[in-house]
Amino acid sequence: MMQFTEHIQVRPEKFGAVVFETLSEKVFVTNKTGAEILCLLEQHKIPEEIIAQLARDYGCSPDLIKNDVQEFIADLTNHALLRSDSPAKAGTKSEKKDDK
Amino acid sequence: MIENELRPAPTQTIHSTQGKTTSKGNIFSDYTAPLFIAWQLNAACNLECLHCCEEAGHSMPDELNHDEIMDFCRQIVQLQIPYVAISGGEPLMHPDFFTISEFLRRHKVTLKVETNGSFIDRSVAKRFAQLGFRSVQVSVDGVTPETFEKLRIKGDWQKAIDACKYLVEAGVKTEIVFVPTKFNCHETGELIDMAYRLGIYGFYTGKTMRIGRAAQNWDILCPSDAEYEQLFKVLSEKQNQYDGKMKIYYYPYDVIEELKYRLEYPSASLLVIPNGKVKLIGPLPFICGDLRKHRLAEVWERYQKSWQLPQVHTFTQKVINDPHLLAESNRWQELSIK
Repeated sequence: MMQFTEHIQVRPEKFGAVVFETLSEKVFVTNKTGAEILCLLEQHKIPEEIIAQLARDYGCSPDLIKNDVQEFIADLTNHALLRSDSPAKAGTKSEKKDDK
Repeated sequence: MIENELRPAPTQTIHSTQGKTTSKGNIFSDYTAPLFIAWQLNAACNLECLHCCEEAGHSMPDELNHDEIMDFCRQIVQLQIPYVAISGGEPLMHPDFFTISEFLRRHKVTLKVETNGSFIDRSVAKRFAQLGFRSVQVSVDGVTPETFEKLRIKGDWQKAIDACKYLVEAGVKTEIVFVPTKFNCHETGELIDMAYRLGIYGFYTGKTMRIGRAAQNWDILCPSDAEYEQLFKVLSEKQNQYDGKMKIYYYPYDVIEELKYRLEYPSASLLVIPNGKVKLIGPLPFICGDLRKHRLAEVWERYQKSWQLPQVHTFTQKVINDPHLLAESNRWQELSIK
């Protein structure tokens, strides 16, 4: 399961969302699509579910958006905003399996 | 303090094909509400520090009452303000301090408190731990009682150190804030070493702000350029020494440099003083809102408009040219905002 790290605050904004890492006092912003991903992460969706959900919402192929979603999640993880309780690689089938 | 550091703008594919808006958030007015509130809860303080920005000591006659305070807290939650720092005066002297803290933490607002540590014993430290404060910041301005108590009149160095020990024992992220002056600069390195031995999470310092009581005592407080140069050299060395072990934060700019920057890039934060008035920024005397008259959402709009006022720009330029005017920072002037 992926979850935000301890000091993270996420707030929707007109432009998308703001992610505030309140321990380091760093602010990150993202657009509406990023905000949708954040919202799905808050609901504890795994990367594959997020990809599937966005593909449905936008009426496009999951393959078209897979890399972008995975990159965004990797960015969040690299900035210690998000952590995975699973040792599996983000966005892979094995993670989905493990998380379930 | 708060900057946009990264914009993980996702999925060029998605927003190019779906026509979604691109990321914003570069400027404070992009935000629907403040990201941070610095709340000076009370003016009462048991100390009479020579450098106190707020010139704290006695309560103001018109401080917000319990109902007004709780109404303000509810507005913080409604507007989803993510982060609040409570200071004073000495905030632990306020009878509602823990009621406020419990309410805000129950609604997941990140909380920090800035205290002189006088009122923190083991049971209070445990309470901070239970409430899940982001951090408790204790003022410690020297490695000896003599140095500390020269700056913090009526202060008790041992109490401040004990407060740090109790907080660390209780598992609270504890920070030390250090105000450099002519008479304690030389102890900086030793104080950082002591902080590490105490188990402190972070050590904060920067140039002393020439506002409030510090402005009145500037000649006896302000370190020389050479002393500051030495201070920043020590800080840089200690930052390397404790890399990965203890955070050492220092802000190398003075209040004038801060004002120049904020005139162009105001922060997405509000400074609320004990009577519910909202200052534009600490070093300036301007009041842009009043929680007794305006809802918090309205104060946020007024704050944004205030930074556009010619009066603010003209006075700020005057302050930049003549830092003596910083002594006016607590002689409040209400801005006329339409």
